[in-house]
Amino acid sequence: MLSVFATILAGFAASFGFFHSAAQGPNALPILTCFIAVPVLAALGIMAAPEKWIRWISLFAASVELGIGVKLFVIFQTAAGGFQFVEEVPWLKSFGINYILGVDGMSALMVFLVAAVYFAGTLISWNISLRVREYYVLFSLLVGGVAGAYESLDLFFFFLFYEFAVLPMYLLVGVWGSGRKEYAAMKLTLMLLAGSAFMLVGFIAMYFTSGVHTFDIRILGDLSKTGFNLEFQKIWFPLLFLGFGVISAVFPFHTWSPDGYGSAPTAASMLHAGVLKSLGGYSIIRVALPAMPDGAKYWLPLLVSLSLINMIYAAIVALKQKDFKYVIAYSSVSHCGAILFGICTLQAAGLNGAIIQTLSHGIVAAMTFALVGLVYGKAHTRELAKLGGLSAVMPVLGGLFVAAAMANVGLPGLSGFVGEFLIFVGAYKSGYHGGFPIFQTLFPIAIMTIVFTAIYYLRLVQMVFYGPLKDPHLKDEVKDGSYIEILPIAFLLAIALWVGLYPKPFVDMSNATIAPLIDRIGGFK
Amino acid sequence: MINYQVFAPEIWLVSTAILILVVELFQSPGSKRSLLNWIAFLGTLGSLLTVIGLSGWCPMGCVPGSVAPQAFNGFLKADGLALFLKMVILLATLITLLITFRYFKTHASPYPAEFLAILLFSASGASALTSAQEIITLYISLETLTISSYLLASFMKKDKGSNEAGMKYLLLGAFSSAILLFGFSYFYGLTGTTVISDMAKSLAMQPSSPLAVFALILVVGGLAFKISLAPFHMWTPDVYEGAPTPITAFLSVASKTAGFAAFIRLFWVGLNVPALQPVWVGLFAVLAAASIVLGNLEAIPQKNIKRMMGYSSIAQAGYISTGFLAIGPMGLTAILFYLFVYLFANMGAFLAITIVSHKTGSEQIEDYAGMWKRSPIIGVVLLVCLLSLAGVPPFAGFSGKWYLFGSAIAKGYTWLALVGMVFSVVSLYYYLQVVRQALISDPKDSSPIETSPLEKAVLILCVVVTVTLGFWPTPIMDLAQTAAASIF
Repeated sequence: MLSVFATILAGFAASFGFFHSAAQGPNALPILTCFIAVPVLAALGIMAAPEKWIRWISLFAASVELGIGVKLFVIFQTAAGGFQFVEEVPWLKSFGINYILGVDGMSALMVFLVAAVYFAGTLISWNISLRVREYYVLFSLLVGGVAGAYESLDLFFFFLFYEFAVLPMYLLVGVWGSGRKEYAAMKLTLMLLAGSAFMLVGFIAMYFTSGVHTFDIRILGDLSKTGFNLEFQKIWFPLLFLGFGVISAVFPFHTWSPDGYGSAPTAASMLHAGVLKSLGGYSIIRVALPAMPDGAKYWLPLLVSLSLINMIYAAIVALKQKDFKYVIAYSSVSHCGAILFGICTLQAAGLNGAIIQTLSHGIVAAMTFALVGLVYGKAHTRELAKLGGLSAVMPVLGGLFVAAAMANVGLPGLSGFVGEFLIFVGAYKSGYHGGFPIFQTLFPIAIMTIVFTAIYYLRLVQMVFYGPLKDPHLKDEVKDGSYIEILPIAFLLAIALWVGLYPKPFVDMSNATIAPLIDRIGGFK
Repeated sequence: MINYQVFAPEIWLVSTAILILVVELFQSPGSKRSLLNWIAFLGTLGSLLTVIGLSGWCPMGCVPGSVAPQAFNGFLKADGLALFLKMVILLATLITLLITFRYFKTHASPYPAEFLAILLFSASGASALTSAQEIITLYISLETLTISSYLLASFMKKDKGSNEAGMKYLLLGAFSSAILLFGFSYFYGLTGTTVISDMAKSLAMQPSSPLAVFALILVVGGLAFKISLAPFHMWTPDVYEGAPTPITAFLSVASKTAGFAAFIRLFWVGLNVPALQPVWVGLFAVLAAASIVLGNLEAIPQKNIKRMMGYSSIAQAGYISTGFLAIGPMGLTAILFYLFVYLFANMGAFLAITIVSHKTGSEQIEDYAGMWKRSPIIGVVLLVCLLSLAGVPPFAGFSGKWYLFGSAIAKGYTWLALVGMVFSVVSLYYYLQVVRQALISDPKDSSPIETSPLEKAVLILCVVVTVTLGFWPTPIMDLAQTAAASIF
């Protein structure tokens, strides 16, 4: 136990030491590149290291990463706004490709999220025993890919890092998964990459149509420089929305998500649900909205119905599931629907809500998946019919699960509430479209989701943790979570509480991105 | 005064081939044959060095405005394009020779010297084709390449599959060569010249005639066979499956590269006239789309990995053809870069395939189970090379497709790029089947598979090149760009 804490502290100390003056000075380490390099270097180190060091290297890297994530969060200047810590290296001049990294308020939040989930996921994976080395290599590479995708300001690198993250996911699900793992892995990979096929063609079409011949997101997001006409925007906005939407499991392309998460090993589903899935909504706000605002205004009132189906349909499906993990997986689909719904409102409140909900969903989904994984590991089944009364044998995990469920439901005081509240405010404030107040009409239906969410989570808590212990053998066999299992979940819960109780710094940061965006593109009038 | 320098790479190849045949005469029947392998290897290396020498020991044509050396009244010209493609072909030949070393350990042949010599003759044909500026030279080089390939495909005399492959390849190949030659004869009749650039001048002055269109279709059909574009692709899976594995590898890279060289010289230079250009561009758009769709769909049910690679190579030819539609420096740069990337990905995969079937005696995909345990390096090579072919980042196939489809979109072929991307995802399905066996499934027989140090080095080289060019394509892109600038 002592050595675990010592490693974590050493990781923090290392990252704070290195980046003490990172914000200033010309010779400081490039903090954003380091954020990508740490997990990648960890992967290389793990390949070469002796067997018994593997976990420690991974934990150390995750702690360094968390240190960088916190540091970025702290030194990001919210008042100044805009992209900060920008690193720019010319890459391929003839094709307008540059290696550009930078964070604004929104991506600084996401970077923090990546670091937090990586840290928690590493601890949760502590007891993996099958093909340990390969597991940690792939896990670290996955984090490196996601981190790069959130920091890239060049579409080439954005795409490269994103798909780089999908590939390890295939092997993580295929090798370390459970159930129909090979089917799920293939489905997940193919559906995500099919979505990205449209993304790639869209990116290149933007490159050539704009006439500025660059993949720089900052320039492509400025209509006065690109001058995409309405025709182009009408064709490409919905295709990009759906391409990005697949990552966020937009209906009807959501089917990879329950199967994928149902089969994935715990830490992989934490990372995928927590951070990779959020990339969909994030990139709509980052790429599609600023580049094609008129296309957005033309299509979003229609596309909102997809996100509404996501919310309601997934919630209802979650009610009927027989597998513990599938309930959580559908819950995640439903929450991503809320994120997309918030984006569709095109209001400052709605978009801020979407970002806070992304952050919250990342933390809470990671926490819930971690708990499911632990319960599965101890009770050896995920079938709801066979589970029951587990609080008697694992009171701490039971308590934590209740907290996680409440955060999912959106209980005030926990992070879920802030995001959903803002989203609904945005929907209420959103204007008319074609003379019809479409969002005001739809948002009562959307609010119904909260009711369904409450029902299925309470049902879950009741079926799994309360009542008499169904399997009496468990009484002697099962112990409550050990400190190394509880630590990551408590850590995530602390963040969820922080966001829930004092959301101001988070909302301010996301508003640093959203306010100028809304100023520029305008919402529905 | 003949400038021998221009065809020095071919002289090296041909004289090495003859040397091998002579040395074999003086070897006693029981002696070690690896000497012959090494002669072939060194000869090809020498040829590669002359290519680098021709480019002045610096990236292709780095002296701006310098005139490319030429011979025989300009019938052969070693310009940047030719040198880049020669480099690809010779690198492919080198790795093919390495695969041959391993292949002959399993399939002892009484005629190793002939095999090596014919392989080098074939490579010399491919190499000469890249610098041909005139249709007769082009045709002769092409036939040197293909006739040697017929022999090589059917080289395993006692093997039924190899015989079938050779016979099929010979019959269809001879037929397509005849069609091609027929087309050429019409163009000669129309223009009165065999020099490609003069043909262009003459055709540009003529009004559009149905005869020219007819000849054009014949040429497209004849050449499309050589690079196995659908619907002229039927021979590919059978030949790829039946031919000795080194030959399959050679056909898939060197032969295809030479075919694209002929395409670029003929169509971009010779037939790029207002009357004909829309016709062949339209034809190629259809052929490319058909190859991408058919190649990828038919690869899915395959159980034999060489057959699967055959269909995959049809799809790859389709992808490269999308770049072929984007006439201009950008399209050519994309094609050259992709060929370079394709070389390492395909050759790495075929080397791995040969090593595995040497050990297991099987070419079935299901027998690749558990490579992560039996030989981790082969597992990694299959992962990296096959996913690079599928175009998944961060591997080089991804950046290659980015430029290919980018150049197609620049010319307005967005639909074709979309077809290419969507079917790249389809292709991922069958590539992942191999990866799944190799990295996920447990082995049926967990005895380790050994690789020799040289093989290991080449496998690692393929992985390193493929990963590096995915992240950092700049050096080869710059090289391809200067090479492409030589014909515009």
